[in-house]
Amino acid sequence: MQPTLSLQNISKNYGSIQALNNVSFDVPMGSVFGILGPNGSGKTTLLSIILDILNAPTGSFTWFGKKSSAESRKKIGSLLETPNFYHYLSATDNLQITQAISGRGNAADIDAVLETVNLLQRKKSKFSTYSLGMKQRLAIAGALLGNPDVLVLDEPTNGLDPVGIAEIRNLIKQLSEQGKTIIMASHLLDEVEKVCTHVAILKKGNLLVAGNVNEVLINEDIVEVSAADITLLENILQEYPSKTFLKKEDNIIQLYFPVGTANLTDINEYCFQRGVIINMLLQKKKSLETKFLEITSATNN
Amino acid sequence: MLQLLKIEWLKIKKYPAFWWMLAIVALTYPGINYMFHSIYENIISRKDMAGNVAKFILGNPFAFPDAWHSVAYFSSFFVIVPALLIIMLVTNEYTYKTHRQNIIDGWSRNQFIHAKMMDVMIISIIVTVSYSVVAAVFGFYFSDAVHATRWAEELQYIVLFFLHTFAQLSWAFLLAFIFRKAFISLGVFVFYSIIIENIIKAYFRFKEWSSSEFLPLEISNRLLPMPNFLGKINAASNEAYKKALDNINWHILYTIIITSAIWWLCYFLNKKRDL
Repeated sequence: MQPTLSLQNISKNYGSIQALNNVSFDVPMGSVFGILGPNGSGKTTLLSIILDILNAPTGSFTWFGKKSSAESRKKIGSLLETPNFYHYLSATDNLQITQAISGRGNAADIDAVLETVNLLQRKKSKFSTYSLGMKQRLAIAGALLGNPDVLVLDEPTNGLDPVGIAEIRNLIKQLSEQGKTIIMASHLLDEVEKVCTHVAILKKGNLLVAGNVNEVLINEDIVEVSAADITLLENILQEYPSKTFLKKEDNIIQLYFPVGTANLTDINEYCFQRGVIINMLLQKKKSLETKFLEITSATNN
Repeated sequence: MLQLLKIEWLKIKKYPAFWWMLAIVALTYPGINYMFHSIYENIISRKDMAGNVAKFILGNPFAFPDAWHSVAYFSSFFVIVPALLIIMLVTNEYTYKTHRQNIIDGWSRNQFIHAKMMDVMIISIIVTVSYSVVAAVFGFYFSDAVHATRWAEELQYIVLFFLHTFAQLSWAFLLAFIFRKAFISLGVFVFYSIIIENIIKAYFRFKEWSSSEFLPLEISNRLLPMPNFLGKINAASNEAYKKALDNINWHILYTIIITSAIWWLCYFLNKKRDL
């Protein structure tokens, strides 16, 4: 199937700072594609390039299998970095401009998207009177206008309260169920973990990994074990067969197993048979955050 | 094109500074012309010979057909008013980052400049219409029966006024497009047009070089030469005035060249630079 967006060897530098270094990946149609990375990793630069705001000196990209153009951008609902609207115009007037430029939607749709983001009551207020969260909501409304098949959202929950964050997360899930392709940059891993089907992780402009979320961020089983004689416990667990990895932290031993293979009963029995009485045995779920820190810090050296 | 115009109108129609500009133009154009009409009245009301000679030689500069020229010259002083509006309209796009949003939403980079050029065009037309109305009213008011029939002579000043306005607003646009910040652009525009270019002109005169006519604003300023009733009433001054009138045709050409170059530069830079 034709990928919605395909990047080939995109590089970009600001003077001596390499913002993006030879980045290539495909965004499959219908995916919720999360672009992750710490601050300054190149997420917004990447989205700016695919929206033709920045020029990439090397590399190329295609939308819907074709070279990017004004026409292809019209089909994409986008929110880039900050909500960009005319301060002296109301929400409705601003969205009329969005509508007129993109050709997406009509007057009725403007009210509908304002309803979706809970701004309908304030549609006649000037943009300059909005709070940060309301500005963000209007930007999301602008992206949703005319029900585009592709959405590019840069930190969509920026400035929103917890209720707003949950609403946007649900909205993204709903849109995904309707078959929309959503490309989303975020440093909020929790957000990504809950909605994304695919991820790409950037660090200092380098693409560390990209692909299906279950393959990239494969979660391991972690079992924490402790005993009175921690050295002896460590020695015998070094020999424990099905583990992939052992880590000692203070008075706790962490055992890593491939997903779904940790067996607490068996570990308990194994230690007991070798004369060690366990005083703690606990299975932990590894968070995406730990995994993310692992991936991004592994490349430090 | 019509679509671009419609979108620019959505941006402008609720922008308070636009209506302020119209109000200021509506007040200043009749005001400045009335003021200079009073100066003219003072000259001819002198009881000595010079007053009579002036009246005889000059005719009434505010009667037809000279009204078109005189009113154009005095009104052109206030090109700074629409220029401020142009600078605000352009720098607003950069301040609010809507220049990015317009592209994101589906304009090409060229369309952004097309749209802005239309703004400059439309505002030039509005200002030109205001000038034409003021000139027509002054002309009919101050013309006697004979002069009134000559209203259609010198209508070319409407075109010259438009060209002058469009050229100078294009210059204002270029500054706003390059500096992006309202205060810097306004500062550079005002400082350059009122002080720098005049200093350069004075220096050129002092050195007796002739090429000050090619300064960016002077090129189009010479489309509307100073009416001769403001000069000394003598043969040399009359000669210089005739020469200035003869040079208008060349300055039409120069103005078109420099204005085209300005817009070409804007298209070129906008394509190349990061937004």
